[in-house]
Amino acid sequence: MFLFLALLDSPEEQEKFTEVYEQYRHFMWYVANQKLQDEHLAEDAVQEAFLALTRHLDQIEDVHSPRTKKFLATVVRSKAVDILRRLKPEEELNEQLSKTQAEEDVLEQFLTRENYNHLVSCILELDDRYRVVFEYKYIYHMGDAQIGDILGISAKNVNIRYFRARKKLQKMIQKEADRFAKA
Amino acid sequence: MQKHEKLSEGEELLAEVLEECLEEDLSFVPPEREISRKHRFSEDFEQAMERLQEEISDELRKKEIRRHFSPRYGQWAACILVFCACGWLLARVGGQIGGSGMEKSADMAEAPAEESAVEEAAAEDMDSGAGSSTAEEPENADMEERILETEESKETKEQEGKNYCEQMVYPAGDQEVPERLENLTTLVNCPVLDEDNPVLMLTIGNMGEEDVRYLDRCELEVWLEDAWYRIPSESEQEGEWHILEAGMAVDEEIDLSEYQIDYDASQYRLVTHTGQGPLSVEFTFAEVFEKTMEESESF
Repeated sequence: MFLFLALLDSPEEQEKFTEVYEQYRHFMWYVANQKLQDEHLAEDAVQEAFLALTRHLDQIEDVHSPRTKKFLATVVRSKAVDILRRLKPEEELNEQLSKTQAEEDVLEQFLTRENYNHLVSCILELDDRYRVVFEYKYIYHMGDAQIGDILGISAKNVNIRYFRARKKLQKMIQKEADRFAKA
Repeated sequence: MQKHEKLSEGEELLAEVLEECLEEDLSFVPPEREISRKHRFSEDFEQAMERLQEEISDELRKKEIRRHFSPRYGQWAACILVFCACGWLLARVGGQIGGSGMEKSADMAEAPAEESAVEEAAAEDMDSGAGSSTAEEPENADMEERILETEESKETKEQEGKNYCEQMVYPAGDQEVPERLENLTTLVNCPVLDEDNPVLMLTIGNMGEEDVRYLDRCELEVWLEDAWYRIPSESEQEGEWHILEAGMAVDEEIDLSEYQIDYDASQYRLVTHTGQGPLSVEFTFAEVFEKTMEESESF
């Protein structure tokens, strides 16, 4: 079970890990509980987040920085999403993304300063399952394999989830822009 | 933190928005202290996290031991050089002895003839007294044994007690002490020691899966001509036995200023006692080491 510990390499890293635990465990629990609305499941999410963190402690440079706090929030939220997915199993994400679907990706056109407010409201509404993938990719600049490792899915499925997220966001912005235009 | 691929303008905007949204979400989270007042983690959670932290500590300790005892090129190089230098010295000393030994060998060549004459005479005695001397044989054998013993004890007494640094030193009980046992090994932090810093760190590592006893006081021995001699310590402290847990290592500080030592002696060793038997580790001083190196280079 603890084979991953091989990646925690030095007493300094262990110290960092302990410091993160001491400083953020309640914060992480709160974030998870907001999503799960269950104290014990939230504790499970925190525990799983710390397990994942042993493999990705290099993402944390300064324990006390706001970036660290954000990263921990993303990790624990993705664990909460994972717990929810296990409780309410949905369709597996192992199907191939068709070529047509990939070609329809025109999100880039909607990512403009003019759409900034639409973008904010869409991201706040976007399903956390997709949002965390965006966060890992664009805020923490992690690769598909690293994201997959935290989420417990393959790099290929991370990619599929990422393209779905793009499509979902694209639709939401389009809808929001249309609504705004009509008004 | 890894370097990221260059994002497009749109993606940069998306990153900005994502960050802003995350900040907005987190702005509603109360401070850590306030949450900790409202929520107490369950025992299961606390225990699981404690276990995780223990696992991390154990894993790191094991890694540290593996790292500590992994062959270090520098140390290996130093050891090889020491062995080469010792080998060269021995060869040279052997050559000198060989030169004077030539004269001795001529004397030795005559000796077997004398010995064989004695043996022949003894055989004749045996033949002539056959049957009548059977009862006396055990007595003679006993006598011979006693004589041999007294001669041996004389020799050992002469061997014992060398004068070293204005003190008497005696041969160590165990002359051949291994550097490594099946699951136990020892290491000094510096096999070539500086005179100005006479503190050595001796590490005993238990790489087995069972606990082992060890004595926290080790003995210092010096190589003088033909054997290892134990150097008495000025400190009168007696060692205590401790348990060294499986997979753990322990460091023992050895202060050489507690001993009267000759920094010009070629080789020293520390002998530590464990439940599995004694273990030794050798070291030398920088000046001696340099001299040996210079000699071997000039050779």
